[in-house]
Amino acid sequence: MIDSIRRLGRFGCNALESFGRAGGFLFLSAFAVPSREGFGLWLRQMHFVGVLSLAIVLVSGLFIGMVLALQGYTILVDFGAEQALGQMVALSLLRELAPVVAALLFAGRAGSALTAEIGLMKATEQLSSMEMIGVDPLRRVVAPRLWAGFVALPLLTVGFSVVGIWGGYLVGVEWLGGFEGSYWGNMQSSVEFLDDVGNGMIKSMVFAVVVTWIAVFQGYDLIPTSEGISRATTRTVVYSSLAVLGLDFVLTAIMFGGLS
Amino acid sequence: MSDTPFVVVEGLHFSRGETEIFRGVDLQVPRGKMTAIMGPSGSGKTTLLKLIGGQLQPDAGRVLIEGENIHAQSRKALFAMRRRMGMLFQSGALFSDLSVFENVAFPLRVHTDLPEAMVRDLVLMKLEAVGLRGARDLMPAELSGGMTRRVALARAIALDPQLILYDEPFVGQDPISMGVLVQLIKRLNEALGLTSVVVSHDIKETLSIVDYVYLISDGQVMAHGTPKSLDVNQDPRVRQFVHGEPDGPVPFHYPAKDYFSDILDAGVSS
Repeated sequence: MIDSIRRLGRFGCNALESFGRAGGFLFLSAFAVPSREGFGLWLRQMHFVGVLSLAIVLVSGLFIGMVLALQGYTILVDFGAEQALGQMVALSLLRELAPVVAALLFAGRAGSALTAEIGLMKATEQLSSMEMIGVDPLRRVVAPRLWAGFVALPLLTVGFSVVGIWGGYLVGVEWLGGFEGSYWGNMQSSVEFLDDVGNGMIKSMVFAVVVTWIAVFQGYDLIPTSEGISRATTRTVVYSSLAVLGLDFVLTAIMFGGLS
Repeated sequence: MSDTPFVVVEGLHFSRGETEIFRGVDLQVPRGKMTAIMGPSGSGKTTLLKLIGGQLQPDAGRVLIEGENIHAQSRKALFAMRRRMGMLFQSGALFSDLSVFENVAFPLRVHTDLPEAMVRDLVLMKLEAVGLRGARDLMPAELSGGMTRRVALARAIALDPQLILYDEPFVGQDPISMGVLVQLIKRLNEALGLTSVVVSHDIKETLSIVDYVYLISDGQVMAHGTPKSLDVNQDPRVRQFVHGEPDGPVPFHYPAKDYFSDILDAGVSS
């Protein structure tokens, strides 16, 4: 009994300590004064985490938009409300699906790669040797990756929404024969820029910070063995997915749940 | 040049979790000399090097580099201090995404504003010193173990540091590249007037090049002296290590319960 209480206490302390470490880590690296070649390093990382994630995000967006339209149309047509299809597709994508699914894909594609890359640099003493050369790895290695993630995910989310809405159009209008004017018209009259697009973007920015932070910190803080790297990579995907889904509920409650 | 030691370690205590690694280590590294820190595997030699480089924080005691406590520095001052040091890692620790040339150029590019032509000349000079000018365009993955260490050495001396820390420079080398490295380290040290700390357990090679030796065991300095004086030291623990005797005060067996009762217990306790 005493033992399990002690274990619980230790677990609590450890969790709190690692939160503290992660917080300090985020602060030190995200607000580090950029080095001279900081912009170039950031651009390189934008390529790795952003451009290389583009294919998976856009293809997923297309299919999700198409499925939404297919399901939505067959239900809406029963009520004679198929002209609301555009509104339905656009709102579900902008408010929920695009930020959430893009963040989940980003955690799987870019987050795990960031963890593994930084972890391997740690295991092969590259981070240590950088420190001994007098270069702060938080500034040189971590900061460009963090900022690339912060910027890339919201942009990927925009791409996801755009392609998804187009996918909905392909199915709802081109294939199932819905009226094109009502698809776009209803969308235009019902989607509010600040409430829907804006809130979706805020969600996406929050997810970007959380997912990239988890990925980079897991890489930096791991035990430098092959087992440590594989565990940290798994933790990145699991923690980021849970964090994204949990935060999505909280943010939705605040933004659309009438709590504010 | 003053006679004060370059590095002073005073009353150093350090533990990892429950394990106590150092229990009051004192040592001095004189300016312009090569000092070896030796001891059996697992005695914490690499940890000591990381403490000297300020990568780990001691529990008690201090490390002075030219009179300045390295663990009392701000992050910025610490990185500035490290520009005066070079470190050769056991694995080489070359940046795997940069070519040999760029690896050696890295410290120059981040710490100086030299024009590209001068960076090129300096890098080629350092690479020539380690005999690898021709390998400048190779990537680290294409190098052999000995070449990796030589490139790492060229990178460690790129900024002409005053202090070099060598972490197991001879481990895992074939006899030829071992000989090359021994000569290289000795020659560079003499030519550049460096202060060096060599952590190693390769007795013969290390004793042939260093001026002074500290033997570490059980978290403390077990003995120290010139290579010659250690060779004739009569302390059984020193003799066992220096002459490579398999059994002695440092036991061959890891602590365990009695052999026979352990065998007879088989299958009963598990």
